Amino acid sequence: MSLGSWADPGAPGAEAVPGIAPGSPAAQAAPGPLPPPDAARPPPGSARSPAVHTLELAKSYRRTVALRGLSMTVARGEVFGFLGPNGAGKTTTVKLLLGLARPTGGEAMVLGAPAGHVESRRRVGYLPELFRFQHWLTAREVLTLHARLLQLPRRDRATADALATVGLAGRADTKVGTFSKGMQQRLGLAVALVGDPELVVLDEPTSALDPVGRHEVRAIVRSLRDRGATVFLNTHLLEEAEQVCDRVTVIDRGKAIATGTLEELLGQRTSVRLRVRGLPDGWWRAHADLGAWSVEGEWLRLAGAPPESVPELVAMVVGRGGRVDAVVPEHQTLEDRFLELLGAR
Amino acid sequence: MSQTLAIVALTVQEALRRKLVAAFMGVSVALVVLSAWGFDRLSHSRSLSSGEVGAAVPQALVLFMFMFSFVVALSASTIASPAISAEIESGVLQSVATRPLHRAQILLGKWLGLGGVLTAYAAAVCALEFVVVDVVSGYTPPDPAGAFGYLLAEGLVLLTVGMLLSTRLSALATGVVAVALFGAAWLAGVVGTLGADFHVPALRQVDSVARYILPTDGLWHGTIYALEPRTIVANAIGHLSPFYASGPPGWAYLVWCGVWVLAALTASLVAFQRREL
Ligand SMILES: Nc1ncnc2c1ncn2[C@@H]1O[C@H](COP(=O)(O)OP(=O)(O)OP(=O)(O)O)[C@@H](O)[C@H]1O
Ligand SMILES: [Mg+2]
Repeated sequence: MSLGSWADPGAPGAEAVPGIAPGSPAAQAAPGPLPPPDAARPPPGSARSPAVHTLELAKSYRRTVALRGLSMTVARGEVFGFLGPNGAGKTTTVKLLLGLARPTGGEAMVLGAPAGHVESRRRVGYLPELFRFQHWLTAREVLTLHARLLQLPRRDRATADALATVGLAGRADTKVGTFSKGMQQRLGLAVALVGDPELVVLDEPTSALDPVGRHEVRAIVRSLRDRGATVFLNTHLLEEAEQVCDRVTVIDRGKAIATGTLEELLGQRTSVRLRVRGLPDGWWRAHADLGAWSVEGEWLRLAGAPPESVPELVAMVVGRGGRVDAVVPEHQTLEDRFLELLGAR
Repeated sequence: MSQTLAIVALTVQEALRRKLVAAFMGVSVALVVLSAWGFDRLSHSRSLSSGEVGAAVPQALVLFMFMFSFVVALSASTIASPAISAEIESGVLQSVATRPLHRAQILLGKWLGLGGVLTAYAAAVCALEFVVVDVVSGYTPPDPAGAFGYLLAEGLVLLTVGMLLSTRLSALATGVVAVALFGAAWLAGVVGTLGADFHVPALRQVDSVARYILPTDGLWHGTIYALEPRTIVANAIGHLSPFYASGPPGWAYLVWCGVWVLAALTASLVAFQRREL
């Protein structure tokens, strides 16, 4: 495979997660942008420890294997997308990271401490996939409870801020039991944000939200990144990942099948489509060095050509005496790539 | 500490807001009012001599308190039954459990909160009933505070049973099992009394074992002793009845009850800590 940070599911060594699992063939063959294994494991507790680091993390339930050896690193300050189809193991991973469930193998570190460590949870905010709150309390009371459990100094302020951020300031004194599902999810987001945590773990934060709400959540995620927080975003909404994530890991059936920045996932998977007149058939065969050419009806496709190469390409056609009717640089969408990855399994 | 208190406050608030306390309080006050009418009829009955009335009133009070002890047991297991499993199933506990506090603090906070609610409720109803009986029929039990204390201890034992069961069972199953255990323990006490009456050592054995396995009936006998006039005890009147106690529970037994509650709480904690949310 051409892309360093990708594992070819069919290749030997695909069992190891690319770029992370120390000593795995994939890690050694991959000079990709991920840090070398040693840098991915600084001493526990240090300020420079990654936000999340897992090594061969495994979880089995009685009959199902939910996670089979997941290794990944989430750096501080990044918005990390954890993508996967239903049942891939996203929620399971998050529960292990927060200490709600215990792993059956491997290890996980969160903010430099073992996953679930009580004191380090002070710096973590969490929106569960199944968001339910004390329905006999008002939204403000729910947040005040969490502010008390976090032992925050200025509770009223923290509570009001969090409510305003998620757009619930006007409903602060309404009983949670009367909230719509989307309003409850907003409340859950406020609970995850209260006290300005260093790591915010969101398990499908927009599953109940309308398009406006989704847009707002993306803005919230970006503002979290702006203040230096790390966001761990579980989702199967690819556009969501595409719009806000710095880096993603794709997980399927309990294993990471790809990791990298969006450019790494998609960058080299661009192509340029051309419609050219005035040149003899097959003229392009002389330019095989530019990439893989193919004919699609009236169009020519040059796979592997980056968008920056368009002017050069046009100049070349014109230089040979041809005329360019149209040029369309194309990115492979994350969805295409996602389906391609899952299809290859 | 402040986090445990936050859980205590949340628990009390839940009991009040969800009108559990109001419901039990309403039923209990209605029962006290009914009992006031009953004691009034009994005290002013023309067919009974004053001696008979003097013996009947304490017996009626014991019967009333027996019924009330059942209500306390029911309320203790009802308020404890949704404590853990139901909150895990609904997902409410997930957000709380990921805050920087130990699961022991959650469990202890809930136990203290529910225990506080139970204490206030039992104290209110006992005080009301003792005052009513005193005013209507002029009878004051020899040890009203003790009667309340044993009754409350019985309630706290069942509260703890409920919490323990709730770490594994659904709210409904917890309530049913806890009340069934309470009934079984009482029945074992009755069987023991029969064994004593008819000199069947095997039956007496049932009681002396059961009162250590689930100490509700042993504590209930403490309530009876604190309610009955000392003359009844001195003359051993009514020793054939399951509503008679010849003496208070000893210190050793009370210590055992304390150990029992601590052990059950520890078991709840272990069960809760093992659970995945
Ligand atoms: N408590 C449990 N008991 C048994 N199996 C479980 C349990 N929780 C999860 N699983 C199994 O583990 C696997 C991963 O589930 P998980 O909830 O992590 O998926 P997910 O990636 O979050 O999916 P979704 O997108 O649907 O939320 C599934 O096969 C699921 O059936
Ligand atoms: Mg999930």
